[in-house]
Amino acid sequence: MDRMACLDLPAFPLQLLLRQHPEWRGYPVAVVDSDQPRGIVLWVNAPARDARILSGMSFAAALSLSGDLRAAQVPEAQIDRAVAAVSRRLREHSPHVEPSEEEPGVFWLDASGLEPLYGSLDAWAAGIETDLSAIGLSAVVVVGFRRFATYALAKSGQGVRVLHEAEQEQGALQDVPLERLAIAPGIRDALAKLGVHSLGEFLRLPSEGIRRRYGKAAFDLHRMASGELNLPLQPERPVAPVTARLILDRPETDVERLMYLIETRLPPLLDALGERGQALEELRLLFRFERLGEHKERIRPAAPTLDARQILELIRLRLSAARLPDGVEELHLLTRAVSPEQRQLELLAARPRRDLEAANRALARVRAALGDQSVVQARLSSGHLPENSFAWEPLSRLEPARPRMRLQRRLVRRLYRRPIPLPPRPRHEPDGWMLHGLEQGPVTRVWGPYVVAGGWWVRALHREYHFAETRKGELLWVFYDRVRRGWFVHGRVE
Amino acid sequence: MKAAFSDLQRGLEPSRTPVSWGLATFRGRFAEISGGEATAALTLTMSLVAEAQQCEEPVAWVTGRDSGFFPPDVAAVGIDLSALAVVWAQGALEAARAADLLLRSGAFGLVVLDLGTDDDLPLAAQTRLAALAKKHETALLCLTRKERERPSLGSLISLRADASRTGRAPPLFRCETRILKDKRQGPGRTFAELCHGPDGLS
Repeated sequence: MDRMACLDLPAFPLQLLLRQHPEWRGYPVAVVDSDQPRGIVLWVNAPARDARILSGMSFAAALSLSGDLRAAQVPEAQIDRAVAAVSRRLREHSPHVEPSEEEPGVFWLDASGLEPLYGSLDAWAAGIETDLSAIGLSAVVVVGFRRFATYALAKSGQGVRVLHEAEQEQGALQDVPLERLAIAPGIRDALAKLGVHSLGEFLRLPSEGIRRRYGKAAFDLHRMASGELNLPLQPERPVAPVTARLILDRPETDVERLMYLIETRLPPLLDALGERGQALEELRLLFRFERLGEHKERIRPAAPTLDARQILELIRLRLSAARLPDGVEELHLLTRAVSPEQRQLELLAARPRRDLEAANRALARVRAALGDQSVVQARLSSGHLPENSFAWEPLSRLEPARPRMRLQRRLVRRLYRRPIPLPPRPRHEPDGWMLHGLEQGPVTRVWGPYVVAGGWWVRALHREYHFAETRKGELLWVFYDRVRRGWFVHGRVE
Repeated sequence: MKAAFSDLQRGLEPSRTPVSWGLATFRGRFAEISGGEATAALTLTMSLVAEAQQCEEPVAWVTGRDSGFFPPDVAAVGIDLSALAVVWAQGALEAARAADLLLRSGAFGLVVLDLGTDDDLPLAAQTRLAALAKKHETALLCLTRKERERPSLGSLISLRADASRTGRAPPLFRCETRILKDKRQGPGRTFAELCHGPDGLS
């Protein structure tokens, strides 16, 4: 009989957060959907639960219960990356691994035929748990026979559990509380009113009645719990990335010679991607230096491409900007590919005067020459502090502009990245308030104050903003920071 | 003779004829917009960015990391921030290098180099940038911070304008541009417009 295992990483985002901040262990910790007072608490650890902090609360309410609370967001991209990393690690224990699409942190593994290799399935499952704890993740592993049964038992158990008989598995399933399963809260509460709290009690209800009263989701749950519906393992089929590795006879310090080597290795890689029907989205260059160790560079063309000349130009720009500090002993070329979208219909569209594709290629060249973070765009956000009212984000692709019709002309401010501290304002100012010294003259007019206060949930802030005009006409945007007790220039009207 | 002499005299006075302040004036030219203490250079350059976006011309803004335009003010004048490529460059040389790569593509209608007080652009770089701007009909603007008495970036600057706030008619501010150098139409012309202040300034 086929064997299957389910691995659950309970409160996976919370585990990732604690792995990122090991100094937070022992404190109440929560994962929130946004780092703002109205943010919702999604996951909490045991010390937070002891402080009566529960998921679903607002961040502000949770902080009012415990001032020691540590909280942060865990972005979806980070969770996806962690799931991919765990999948790769699990493939060392089983050839077939299926990560759950609905619940990140749940994995199914094929355990068939592994007993002779590991001595017993207990040893195999314990090995998985030990391996994951080595990277700071706590796991529950249940080895059984059916997909749903192992999942339900993993959700309601702890540590490692191996079921040796199918009947034993079905028996253990009877005691699983319904609240541990991903079941709609409305159905769960309706069943609780009938005194149905466990899977065993649920299974005693007639399936047809469940379908009529509670719908398809509850009906499917009943069928899966009874064994009537049993989905097979649907493992990932990872495709090995196209890579090339060069081990040099002697350390190379000349960029031109290194470029020649790359030129010879890159076209076969692009051909291999072309055969797969893919295009290069990103090329990673991994240099192993003689003394300085490893160094990575990422090259991203403006759009996925198989054009070797374009990519070589970007590599040349990057390498000429960052001179080789040491002899290169080894070079890896790793490709990240995507399936290109079909764009034939665009041929029929009217073309603007300027070529946006050429603009994006130029921006990719700038990125290659000045660094990945050198090309950005501004995005407005809802922060109430001036520096939080927008964010700089990497500009991956320049799109056609959609400007709004201008309602009125307005003066534009220049903002300093770090506010510039001003000397303390003396109690007596015989010549007036001198912001910049004698040359600019004293301040002749002040607008304000406009108070910006808040941040008490992280770090209290109280700023009083003013516009100050000097005799020479300079219009400075200054603020008095009550917490730091000092004046700062934050910008100027230009 | 006397009449001709009076014409000459009149020619030395700054003309008060309003000129159009638009992208067409700068297309294919290497220009400098400067301002001293009461400057309005950033505001007037942003009006060019807005016009470029209305004309479907891609725009790139090359600036340092220490300071830059305040995005909420820029969005308030109607500019689409998501289509304004901002390039962070350290120093004038790196900014010139970035501008070279952008201009060479011929895909941008307006490239702004926000140089501030660091305006030491080598003549070789200026020559290359001016030629590229002309070839691709791109407006290349350098924003500098200097008084009008100080010389422009170099002899290759085709148009130099001094932008300043010259007065106030509450709640509006008067922004004036004076053309100090124009290789095509001659200097001395002025352009003025009234602008609202940012929130809290009137």
